[in-house]
Amino acid sequence: MLAIAPARPVALPRQNERADGRALAERLQSKYSSRITGALVFPARAGRYAELPAGLPESIVRAMHVRGIHQLYSHQLEAWEATQRGEHVVVVTPTASGKTLCYTLPVLAGAITAQSKALYLFPTKALAQDQVAELNEINQAGNLGLRASTFDGDTPGDARQAVRLHGDIVVSNPDMLHTAILPHHTKWAQLFENLRYVVIDEIHTYRGVFGSHVANVIRRLKRVCAFYGVSPQFILCSATIGNPHAHAEALLEDRVTAITESGAPSGEKHVLLWNPPVVNRDLGLRASARSQSTRIARAAIRAGLKVLVFAQSRTMVEIITKYLKDVFDHDPRKPPRIRAYRGGYLPTERREVERSMRAGHIDGIVSTSALELGVDVGALDVVLCNGYPGSIAATWQRFGRAGRRRQPSLGVLIASSEPLDQYLVRHPEFFRDAPPEHARIHADQDLIALDHVRCAAFELPFGEGEMFGRLDPEPFLEVLVEESVLHREGVRWEWIADSYPAGAVSLRAVADGNFVVVDRTDGRQGIVAEVDYTAAALTLYEGAIHMVQAAPYQVEKLDWAGRKAFVTRTVVDYYTDAIDYTKLKVLSCFEARASGSGSAQHGEVHVVRRVSGYKKIRYYTHENIGYGPVSLPDQELQTTAVWWQLPQPVLDAVFAHRQEALEAFLGAAHALHVIASLSVMADARDLQRSVGTGDDSWNIGKHRQPASIVPAQSATSGSFLPTLYLYDNYPGGIGLSEPLFERASEIVRGARELIARCECAAGCPGCVGPVLAADESLELTPKLLALRVLETLSESA
Amino acid sequence: MTLASRLDSLRRQAGVESRTAPAPAWIPASPLAGSCDRGPRVGVEDLQQRVAALRRLLGRRPTSRETGIADSVRDRAAAPDRCLPGVDVGPGLQLIERHYALPELPLSIALHGLRSSAQQRHARVHEPEDPGMVHPARLLAIDTETTGLTGGTGTRAFMIGVADFVDGRMRIRQLLTTTLAGESRMLRMFCDWLRDDHVLVSYNGRSYDRPLLSTRLRLARLADPLSALIHLDLLHVTRRAYRSAWPNCRLATAERELLGVVRDDDLPGSEAPGAWLTWLRGGSSALLHRVAAHNDQDLRSLMGLVAHFASAAGQPPR
Repeated sequence: MLAIAPARPVALPRQNERADGRALAERLQSKYSSRITGALVFPARAGRYAELPAGLPESIVRAMHVRGIHQLYSHQLEAWEATQRGEHVVVVTPTASGKTLCYTLPVLAGAITAQSKALYLFPTKALAQDQVAELNEINQAGNLGLRASTFDGDTPGDARQAVRLHGDIVVSNPDMLHTAILPHHTKWAQLFENLRYVVIDEIHTYRGVFGSHVANVIRRLKRVCAFYGVSPQFILCSATIGNPHAHAEALLEDRVTAITESGAPSGEKHVLLWNPPVVNRDLGLRASARSQSTRIARAAIRAGLKVLVFAQSRTMVEIITKYLKDVFDHDPRKPPRIRAYRGGYLPTERREVERSMRAGHIDGIVSTSALELGVDVGALDVVLCNGYPGSIAATWQRFGRAGRRRQPSLGVLIASSEPLDQYLVRHPEFFRDAPPEHARIHADQDLIALDHVRCAAFELPFGEGEMFGRLDPEPFLEVLVEESVLHREGVRWEWIADSYPAGAVSLRAVADGNFVVVDRTDGRQGIVAEVDYTAAALTLYEGAIHMVQAAPYQVEKLDWAGRKAFVTRTVVDYYTDAIDYTKLKVLSCFEARASGSGSAQHGEVHVVRRVSGYKKIRYYTHENIGYGPVSLPDQELQTTAVWWQLPQPVLDAVFAHRQEALEAFLGAAHALHVIASLSVMADARDLQRSVGTGDDSWNIGKHRQPASIVPAQSATSGSFLPTLYLYDNYPGGIGLSEPLFERASEIVRGARELIARCECAAGCPGCVGPVLAADESLELTPKLLALRVLETLSESA
Repeated sequence: MTLASRLDSLRRQAGVESRTAPAPAWIPASPLAGSCDRGPRVGVEDLQQRVAALRRLLGRRPTSRETGIADSVRDRAAAPDRCLPGVDVGPGLQLIERHYALPELPLSIALHGLRSSAQQRHARVHEPEDPGMVHPARLLAIDTETTGLTGGTGTRAFMIGVADFVDGRMRIRQLLTTTLAGESRMLRMFCDWLRDDHVLVSYNGRSYDRPLLSTRLRLARLADPLSALIHLDLLHVTRRAYRSAWPNCRLATAERELLGVVRDDDLPGSEAPGAWLTWLRGGSSALLHRVAAHNDQDLRSLMGLVAHFASAAGQPPR
């Protein structure tokens, strides 16, 4: 079914061959074979169709006909049948497979036949507005007389009452549900009393901290619905992730029917993995990804194909757009063929670009991840990813934007110099075989659960024995009584405080200690970013270069108590890297197992982290061009972790002395961190690493430091037990440690391969971390040392 | 360690200010670590352990389950004054009733002239047509004392005060809940007092008191007769007439300027929630008497303002 072809020259296509994705793929492979590290082909798929279901009301059938829909795809009928059976549903088909109809039909049918109402939750306002526009078109086409409206921060005051009382379909988002709808649910009585369907789109975005919060908001929603005597059906949509069914059931805490086989037809799909050529052998420098993207885009547009280029930042979008406009839009009298698209554009601007795309007027569009989500931009032939988007799932979602119904399409992943990018592009089989990452949530996380039990108690009193989802809320309720927000009387806990709890809970943070980043360039005072408390010391110290949307800002002043960092826009050729030391103490070990000659464990740990300084590192060359001091309070963290250890006799056998063993562990930790982050879909800051010596001294976070920056060590005791930790960077943990422990041997193997196959001589940021020049002449390079540890930890060692 | 101190230390680690005593720097191994990732479910034994540990903590500081008395309050007050205003009319509910001489009122009030055109435009859909002229006997002033100003379903009224004219006198009736459970009885009794032809009079009641009572009625699963009644909100009338003349249009300002009322030793409205919570937790009822007095004066001032605006001299400029 899947064919993987290593790069090899292919016969040149004939001059008059039809222009499509396959033709371009073949031409690129023949001309740039040295840059293409892998090629995949997915065969075309015929559509599977079904009749419009018999139970669909006449007016809706008419509306469908007016819109040109006379039959359904098989999965749309499957969704209809499952909803008619009263089941919760999750639809996991690719982009542009008509997922919308899977929920639109049941919702409209319910509204027509039973006057039932629906609540839609979308992650962005743009998608919400699109949805309402679509519903209104169907409404008019079939003269259905239904009222669909958005309800979000932009809804004007007097319109809100109308939506509450008369809206048949209310289109909102999780934040609005959390702060504005649930705590005022009596005003929404008309909606709740008749609520039959809740539609939640893009559920793969509800993972990690955000997903844990959303799962709790859903618990509160169900609780409020139960008060009004209803138990709504949920219809969820997800992009392709590794565990869509399990994820849906985790979010709903209930059984869900998964619909995974798409009946939509699709053309042949070609995928190329592209590594820019080396331009400086001595330094190991490669050409920029941007240079390759613009080259491929030019070729595609000249061949008459429609192209979408994804860039990782808004700045890069502007740069690539400029390059392409210089080639294609140099005549200002003609309409532009190249357009940029960003989430930050006004709705009217975005609508206009989307319309032009659909009408075929635009040949090339350059966008951030804003276009990853469902907005319809018509047919595209080629999708280019300028840099790895960060997850396999996101990569496939982007590639999914390419493909007219039956024509071959092409997706190209162009690697940047980032270690992850380089690893992937050199391991095409990893890319092919890697299951898309698993989305994980941890709804019962202590702080998150406490916040939502508090919000829930504000909405409705709790009774004795009442559950909150599958969580027993009683211990939390007692805590809230101690805090004087609840009062227990008889068998009920009631809210008595003068506060509005939902206002103090951000769905994207664990508790409320976030820092805001204030831009002071040119005398402005605007907030440009928000940073978690636990990440603040690592990224917001004075002198730090802090990236916002890949634009560099320098931190001029940090107000720790006020939780504010003041930055100004800057232009520098280096980035900064915090030097952190940690003291890790194991509080409890949940599980342990052998790992080769050593062991892997996971459990609860207590971390004290001190940032003692930072390094300035030049881009591309990774030279260390200076240091700076940092003076911030130590941070404490109680969280979950996974760790590896080797026993004393094994260490003695494998390493000549302690320093060597430590070096080895540091290098291994770097590689393990890369692979681990990949496998659990963790953002860079979610997972941290630390290597300890088993005594009470400070662990080294990463690289070797000059003596002035190393904190004073207590006298080293006799025992020496180097341990390699990967810990969740949130108080209370966020659910990464257990899955990492489950896949520990796989991760160790991945780290081994990462190092073994790296082309550097002694070590580099792509495998074991930057190495000192002196290390390169050693016989036992950092690479080899790290490999020794990993081999010893491997099952088959 | 207990859940409470664990949560507190996690919160500190997340950068939030501590709410209780700070936890020790190094936390000993916890047998209750079952809250982390341990597979799909926290075991029943872990939950029971957690709850038991918490109850043991609570047990060391004995509290009464029934009224949730905080022992700090108990320790402080040797014998708090628990004498309540009014008479007991059922478990958890007191009724205070007083009579006063009538203010000067015309035989009928031109309601049409008092309600601004804006109010009439935004009149609720099911409010009956404005009848124009209203007999004073139809007036019912209302004012609530609540647990907070933030709105939402978590705010409740612990006192509902009404004023009306009966037998040639002004009658003030106040319902005061003394337990949480008394709310249902209070709401039912209040609704029994309402008539179809009542005209509600309030100060900012359209935006605050009435929606709050409607919310509590809905939560108590009782019918809501308030939405069907004509509602005269004197805040808007006062603003229209005197917004440019006075620094603010608070009730205290209006009663001072128009009625010559100066309150002596009045408990500020912002302290009312605390007064009730003190009582609820087993503390003194002294402040509750003052809350009742404050509410009483509010109602009398409301009726006085009606009299002022209804009289010829007080007709607001058209």
